[in-house]
Amino acid sequence: MGGKVSCTLGEVTNRADFIIFWGGNPAECHPRHFTKYSLTPKGRFVPDGRKGRTAVLVDIRETPSAKAADIFLQLRPSKDFEVLTTLRALIKDQRVDPAAVAETGLTLEQLQDLVDRMKKARFGAMFFGMGLSMTRGKHMNSGALLNLAAEMNAFTKFVCMPMRGHGNVTGADVVLRYTTGYPFGVNLSRGYPRYNPGEFSTVDLLVRGDNDAAFILGADPGATMPQPAIEHLASIPTIVLDPKVTHTSRLSRVHITTAVTGVSAPGTAYRMDEIPLPLAPALRSPYPTDEEVVRRIRRAVARRPAWQPVDENVRSAIA
Amino acid sequence: MSQTSNLTVVENATCTFCGCVCDDIELHADGERIVQAKMACSLGKSWFLNHTAERLYPDALIDGREATLDDAVEAAAEYLHAANMPLVYGLSNTTCEAQREAVALAESIGGVVDSHTSL
Repeated sequence: MGGKVSCTLGEVTNRADFIIFWGGNPAECHPRHFTKYSLTPKGRFVPDGRKGRTAVLVDIRETPSAKAADIFLQLRPSKDFEVLTTLRALIKDQRVDPAAVAETGLTLEQLQDLVDRMKKARFGAMFFGMGLSMTRGKHMNSGALLNLAAEMNAFTKFVCMPMRGHGNVTGADVVLRYTTGYPFGVNLSRGYPRYNPGEFSTVDLLVRGDNDAAFILGADPGATMPQPAIEHLASIPTIVLDPKVTHTSRLSRVHITTAVTGVSAPGTAYRMDEIPLPLAPALRSPYPTDEEVVRRIRRAVARRPAWQPVDENVRSAIA
Repeated sequence: MSQTSNLTVVENATCTFCGCVCDDIELHADGERIVQAKMACSLGKSWFLNHTAERLYPDALIDGREATLDDAVEAAAEYLHAANMPLVYGLSNTTCEAQREAVALAESIGGVVDSHTSL
């Protein structure tokens, strides 16, 4: 996400007086987000804590997080992009069609009120969940919200970040970025990294049947992926590393049991604001860590003849 | 890490259940399981208390049959080396150190590396 205007959660705690949660339900999915980072703690420039902050929740239904918010804006499903585009127009005092706004489930007055409050904020922070990024529009929605945050900086300080689930998925983005230059869906089959979501993203690859082997760690796609993707995984040699025998293990040729990240395996994990934190395991596992097993497999691969990308001209010259 | 009675206490432990990665958890553990996770939320508590150091599963399985780690590593390397377009996927519930190894593995086998982010 190049150009993302963001900050650490510590800055949110100490500075943010206006917070928007969009398409996420932290009360149930990130239970300590409100109390540890975003709403209730007293911050250096927010000495009154919760009283010093305004919280807005934007979602398609009234989740338990709505109770924690001062303003709840309920939009119709799949209208996020339209609302975000309207907000981007309103902050620049451009005219919008009230009838078109009404189709989103919100009124022009509600959105104008939101824009007025956003401009009056000293430091605005926006958090978005999968309710924004996994609905119609997908990454275009996330992009629209990130752009809104960037554009708000013409008026006051505004930042934006995704509410990441799954422990260290943020770390996966960071590690892939600093090793390959791209955050996910990186194809190394030509010997250099290529990035094209939709073409080199896992579900698309598996549904098309492009892969002839799979190596899975820190995930259980056998329980979560679309059926055609699972069927392809089951039809090819799949290797899985997991602390438990999972759905994926049952469809795999090889399962290796590993220690539990953070419980019995040491290392580093990234928080959603891209702060790396050391893990402090309290138990000693009878199993090796993911790191050790992947290294051993990599060394076993290295003992075999080197794989090289073959140039088509070379191939035809040999033939 | 300090010892009180039979319990090991780990202060400022880090929870990796969700993206908040809270690093202020106090864990009390006997040799085999964590019995208390102070400061953790309901999700974090069940994460810490439900993972133990017991040997509940075989070291490895090949085609569903119990196998040694050494054999499983060799079998994995053989499959991945033989593949033309292998996929390395997941990377969420693991450490950055393991992620780096996985990227290096993907490069050495000429594969695709991807995470939950693409879902």
